[in-house]
Amino acid sequence: MAVPERTAARCQRCGVVLYQNRPASLVRVTAFSLTALVLMGIVNTFPFLTMESNGIRTELSLVRAARELIREGSPVIGWGVALFTIIAPLAMAGGMLYVCGPLLVGRAAPGARHVARWLGRTEPWNMIEVFLLGVLVSLMKLGKMADLYFGVGFWAFAALMLCMAAAVAGIDRNELWDRLEVAEE
Amino acid sequence: MTPHLPRAIDQGLANCHVCGKVSPVVLRHCPRCGSALHLRKPASMQRTVALLIAAGALYLPANLLPVMTLSELGDVMASTILQGMAEFWRRQAYPIAIVIFVASIMIPLIKIVALVWLCAAASGKVHSSPRILGRIYGFTELLGRWSMVDIFVVSILVALCQFGAYMTVTPGPGALAFAGVVVLTMFAAMSFDPRLLWDRLESLKAPDPTPPPPDRE
Ligand SMILES: [Zn+2]
Repeated sequence: MAVPERTAARCQRCGVVLYQNRPASLVRVTAFSLTALVLMGIVNTFPFLTMESNGIRTELSLVRAARELIREGSPVIGWGVALFTIIAPLAMAGGMLYVCGPLLVGRAAPGARHVARWLGRTEPWNMIEVFLLGVLVSLMKLGKMADLYFGVGFWAFAALMLCMAAAVAGIDRNELWDRLEVAEE
Repeated sequence: MTPHLPRAIDQGLANCHVCGKVSPVVLRHCPRCGSALHLRKPASMQRTVALLIAAGALYLPANLLPVMTLSELGDVMASTILQGMAEFWRRQAYPIAIVIFVASIMIPLIKIVALVWLCAAASGKVHSSPRILGRIYGFTELLGRWSMVDIFVVSILVALCQFGAYMTVTPGPGALAFAGVVVLTMFAAMSFDPRLLWDRLESLKAPDPTPPPPDRE
């Protein structure tokens, strides 16, 4: 049975939502994941946070946060930070765009099933919102020690967090797989 | 009491872990996404318990060893997670101190205790309502990642505080142990299958339990 747009099928006994057809889900996911990719480019080009102390300037970026840990003798945590803040978000946004973009015109991209399988596995490891909380805690910690300036990268990062959340919330797992199944036939 | 509802496991139907499609388990692979089909997550309890033991073993070093070292004009000061929180409290930054306390100390501990309790309930050692236990499981899966905030704070401070002899921050051994606790408890929550709680309830209700069909693979 087809579920019309903006409605949901609920369990007859307990009323829990079983499937739902969110409005314009594919357009939303495609648009938000494309925007997220553009924002990632900005986040990784412009400085995030600049700190000045005794005439010396240091800059924070996602790449630097991971690289300095590796350089300071903690390669495992350094690569973990890179995975949670750069690699997983990039894989999620790229994967969603790759799967949902072609579905907009009713086609399944080659290998879309494999990509969609990996999307679910990547999701818990995308921790950009947790990193943003980490930035806030660090600011409180450094507050009195030095002068801190926000860069374009910081605002792009905040926007990236919202875009990723909107893209993930745009479609549910069952709907994505249903559409993929229909497109592949 | 809820009426007796038929269960998919009794009819040999498996819910795909990846895409959610329900298919006969005899197919072995999901017709929609190609993943291996299981009636329940394979070796769910053994995996969860093993990951929990590892996380529990790392919990003490994670909290006792310094997560970072601050050297300021020759003064070297190592700080643990707890000391970092106490420092915020002393400076009267109460909201941040509470956020750190909840994310770094309470959530990992609650997760480990809750998952141990869930495993005990699923194996019949304690009797609690599966409805409440199911909510606890959802909570552990949802909040676990926020514990990583302290690791990110270390990475941000290490990247920013590079002023040579004047001030430098280096990561400490506690950070690796702490990250280990967070990652291991996340894997433990993922490998636990909450349906085992309901299976346990089902087997208590039925006086003559019929063994479930063997899980292929
Ligand atoms: Zn499947």
